[in-house]
Amino acid sequence: MRCERCGKELTNRIIKINGVTYCENCARLMGYDRFLKDPSDLLGNPFSPLDQIASSLMQMSELDFGNSTLTCPKCGMTLREFENEGRVGCIECYNTFNDNIVREMFKQQGNSEYAGRLPAQSADTDVKTAEIPQEIKKEAPGKQKEIEVTEKNEAPTKEEQEKAPAGKSGKGLTLEQLMKADLGMLSDEDLEKGIKVAADAEEYKLASRLRDELKGRKEGEGNV
Amino acid sequence: MSEWYTNDGKDSDVVLSTKACIVRNIKGYNFMPRLDDKECQSLLETIDKAIDKDVYVGGNASNIDKNTILKLTRLQILGREASQMANPERKAFYYNDDVSLSVAVGAGEHLTVKAMAAGHDISVYKKAEEAVLDLESKLDIAFSENYGFLTSNVRLAGTGLKVLYTVSLPAISKTEGGIAALSQRVGQYEWSIYPFAERGEIADSDVYIIASVNTLGVTEDEVLKRGEMLISDVIKAERALRDEIASSKKDQSADIYGRSYGTLRYANMISRSEALQDLGWLRLYHDYDDTGDINISWNTINKLTMDILWEPEAPTRKNSQSVASQKFRAQGIRKILKGAD
Repeated sequence: MRCERCGKELTNRIIKINGVTYCENCARLMGYDRFLKDPSDLLGNPFSPLDQIASSLMQMSELDFGNSTLTCPKCGMTLREFENEGRVGCIECYNTFNDNIVREMFKQQGNSEYAGRLPAQSADTDVKTAEIPQEIKKEAPGKQKEIEVTEKNEAPTKEEQEKAPAGKSGKGLTLEQLMKADLGMLSDEDLEKGIKVAADAEEYKLASRLRDELKGRKEGEGNV
Repeated sequence: MSEWYTNDGKDSDVVLSTKACIVRNIKGYNFMPRLDDKECQSLLETIDKAIDKDVYVGGNASNIDKNTILKLTRLQILGREASQMANPERKAFYYNDDVSLSVAVGAGEHLTVKAMAAGHDISVYKKAEEAVLDLESKLDIAFSENYGFLTSNVRLAGTGLKVLYTVSLPAISKTEGGIAALSQRVGQYEWSIYPFAERGEIADSDVYIIASVNTLGVTEDEVLKRGEMLISDVIKAERALRDEIASSKKDQSADIYGRSYGTLRYANMISRSEALQDLGWLRLYHDYDDTGDINISWNTINKLTMDILWEPEAPTRKNSQSVASQKFRAQGIRKILKGAD
């Protein structure tokens, strides 16, 4: 488990206030020091009245993360406003809400380090509009299909299936189709079948491309 | 005022337009949400002095007349949301001759520089960058070594750059699972795809925006390179699927193509949604029609698509669906198609 404010791994104490998990350090910085007393201190004291513990817990439940007094000294924006709107009010806010901003950046982009150009310096780029071969578009209708598709609400008729180009094996793709296909447009199932087709035909390069695509998708899912 | 989007663009069978937006803020001023009216006037004056009047026209939004606002909306400088023109005294818009380059002041950030081109054309980045460099040389820009260019919206902090391709994908949309597979692909490039619709509107076409996401941890060059790889994949996939549909369902496709053209050419009333669907079919089958009966260029299809997409009236608003509105739209389409004939 990680602190939801600074992202540090929680190894020692977990402090949960209104459903938000903090590390000890962040809880202190957020002004929740009075709740950091070790419960065992209270429980271990035979004279500690139970209602003290109860009132302590009640106070914690009344706390609101957004009510923090953290306010930008320059523009007066509060942490709550930033949390709600995702916008800051001035340059100083970047110092005031630094931790929260970094967390937001990580959440959105998985990075918080700047890698772009400096002011008044041109970005070093030589990117040109990619040339895309036109042959796919220009080829006459009826050429070999590249990707198997089924239109919404319009399953091909039996007659149409019979007219389908030769070389297409049932629901799967032929080796030739796989070689030409944009792998990103293939379903996971097609990729799995494709790996078998390619391996059977000893097209190991193609099989490994298909496998990498499938692996990449599975890894991508794991990161979400 | 010429219309930049009526120019012939590359790969315009799929890509309607390419846009590069760069945002910047100026040191010494609070960001827009915390800028009081007096400071805002000072900001507008400071920026006005830095704007090259040989390149741009325009100025304070409160001085722009209603017709110009409608034109700027159609030419995609302004969003179609009415709120875009809320508090016009706090905003300014500058634009060049063909409106392909613009500087918006007070629209979210202090400065939003936007360069646009018809079709697939990544040179828009250089165009936007040149305009931004000129402003950066004249103004004290908010910049930090850690976070790059500082912005009010922290999602834009860093390069402050967004690259957007507006694409029409009738074949991928009509293919089961097509958009889902494409979304997955786009995500692999760390870009995003979303249907063409503004806040509160219904997505009613097969037009999508493919946009860059990251402004941190990547250079501008990397953003552009990834974008070019991605858009190449999208174009190839859409063309392959058009080819598939046009050949596997030739008769049906030809029939719908003809009907769609007929509706657009002769309808007396047409809703926005119907017009966009018909244009989607024209786009899908255009290169496969071998009858020679229908004479319509890509340029005309694109102009019509963008005219309808960027109608100042949003599809959820009642008056956009009114009889008068549908008649006006149909009349406009007929006029353009008659000219194309």
